[in-house]
Amino acid sequence: MSFNGQGGGFARPGFRTLIAGLLLAAAAWGLCSLDRQIEVFGFGASGPDARSFPRVALWLLAAVVALRLVLSLRAEDYPLGTPARLGRVVAVAASGAAALWAMPQFGFFAGAAGAGIIVALVLGERRPLLLGLPLIVAAVVAYCGRHGLSIPLP
Amino acid sequence: MLVDAFLEVLNLWVLVAAITGIVSGIIIGAIPGLGPTMAIALLIPVTFSMEPIPAIILLLGVYQGAIFGGSISAVLLNVPGTPSSAATAIDGFAMARRGEGGRALRFALYASVIGNIFSCLVLMALAEPLARFALDFGPAEMAMLMLFALLVIVLFGGGSKLDALIMVLVGACAGIVGLDPISGTPRFTFGSFAFENGFQLIPVLIGLFAMSEVLLQAFDREPLVGDVEVPPLKSSVVRFAELWRMRVTLLLSSVIGTFVGILPGIGSTVPAFMSYNLARSRSADADRFGKGAPEGVVAPEAANNAVTGGALVPTLALGIPGDAVTAVILGAFMLHGLAPGPFLFRDHGLEVYAIFEALLLSSIPTVILGLLFFRVAIHVTRIQPRHLLPAITILAIFGAFSVNNSLFDVCVMLGAGVLGFLFRRANFPVPPLLIGLILGAPFEQSLRQALLTSGGGYGIFVGSPITVGLLALIGLSLAISLALSLRKART
Repeated sequence: MSFNGQGGGFARPGFRTLIAGLLLAAAAWGLCSLDRQIEVFGFGASGPDARSFPRVALWLLAAVVALRLVLSLRAEDYPLGTPARLGRVVAVAASGAAALWAMPQFGFFAGAAGAGIIVALVLGERRPLLLGLPLIVAAVVAYCGRHGLSIPLP
Repeated sequence: MLVDAFLEVLNLWVLVAAITGIVSGIIIGAIPGLGPTMAIALLIPVTFSMEPIPAIILLLGVYQGAIFGGSISAVLLNVPGTPSSAATAIDGFAMARRGEGGRALRFALYASVIGNIFSCLVLMALAEPLARFALDFGPAEMAMLMLFALLVIVLFGGGSKLDALIMVLVGACAGIVGLDPISGTPRFTFGSFAFENGFQLIPVLIGLFAMSEVLLQAFDREPLVGDVEVPPLKSSVVRFAELWRMRVTLLLSSVIGTFVGILPGIGSTVPAFMSYNLARSRSADADRFGKGAPEGVVAPEAANNAVTGGALVPTLALGIPGDAVTAVILGAFMLHGLAPGPFLFRDHGLEVYAIFEALLLSSIPTVILGLLFFRVAIHVTRIQPRHLLPAITILAIFGAFSVNNSLFDVCVMLGAGVLGFLFRRANFPVPPLLIGLILGAPFEQSLRQALLTSGGGYGIFVGSPITVGLLALIGLSLAISLALSLRKART
């Protein structure tokens, strides 16, 4: 994991700034939608209700993340990386999402083996024999899961 | 109880589970980048159809084996298989370069086993009395205890305290999703039935530790081990007399590992370095350290293995995981109907003591398998991520699905994987998030139960000697952390 000072501050945000920004946005959204997302039916009980802990936790999160953002302004950050590197991550995540979509239609074997092959390709594997390895692993897992562990795989 | 538990251990499946776990652990631990946390998270679904004792022993065997396995690549390649083996690499690799790699690995193996035996004995001695004491805890005491545990993770977990606090809060906020523990009101469920059970622990674990590793490797795409020449392994022996000469180092390191392991959130890397530094400062020939001193291998290995038993003390007796690995093991206990906490020993004493005894006895197969497998494990260290990670992806999808036979859990696993990748890439610590997720909901529940009992009065949190004691511990932890920060700033 490199920390080479290429990122940093709002001008060149890196992973830390990005994460802190996303967390701050999520906490702010949580606080804004708290009353909509949590209905409270008061029965006269004293003490905190279903909204109290989430409210405190989200306020605290927003405060500490805002502090982290302020401190990050002058600090070096972990650079976001080249589009090619980020593209590989997106490809692996998309292969998982595709497997999720494919499993109910084509079964666990097809979905999982497909995801495995895409991961192998993304990681730089080009030999056909080793690209076939996920097929074997998926077949073994599907067979053992269904017949050994009695799991109703799709 | 101990005899009955021993009879439970005399089961062929327990032996098979122990051997399978230890061998898998040694191999997985030897591969840099694949730690015990990921291995245990991926193996949990395999144990679904097993009896609780062999299932837990399989997973603890992986833990034990992986900690020793991590020292193989540390000694031979100077690439620690697990972070806790980093201290072992200092003198272990120096010994290997001198042609004493075999001796270094034998020292590491015997020290690992001694550390493990010591911590298992402490676990057996401390866990039940602690659980019995915790039976007197009401909601106020449990709330203060969990607050103390979360605070210790933030203050002493290493790294930035602010980052650890952010991660604990992210975990606690993720734990809010689902039905309210007191009133049953849906919270952040978006009207979806699937969200009402909240985020299940196992899919989150698999996502955070397995899927995120796949994404990290896709981002970096660099071989974990380059073309490092493995020093030849000559035939060697380690005599009992040599270990006897290091008995004080072994004992002190085991004590450090066990008792630091009991503290939540510190993990096994810190005690390994603490023991290494203590061994060096006690040595009459401190200059040899860093140049291949056997004590430099023995001290961290005894300490990082002793953490196993130590970390299980608060996990099993109080339901408070010490680190990421014990959080995963806690999840496994819960899946097998052995909910960790004060009632565990009362309701499942036989099973728990059988697990302790099996863990203690598994030192014998660890020595045998360790000696047999470290030559094989050298080749394992050469496995490239692109050969292994596709299989991990498939196992992650399978593992997430099999918890509830639900594709929603696969979705949660993928989401946790992406978040885990972003957090790890940004150097935010992931274990505090996991512990926040585990402890957040019970902390809120205890807090609200206590306030309901007291009619909304906060005096309940200073109303008993136990809560006052825990408050004093919280104050002491804050004071120690502040003093350490000030001293660090001055130097």
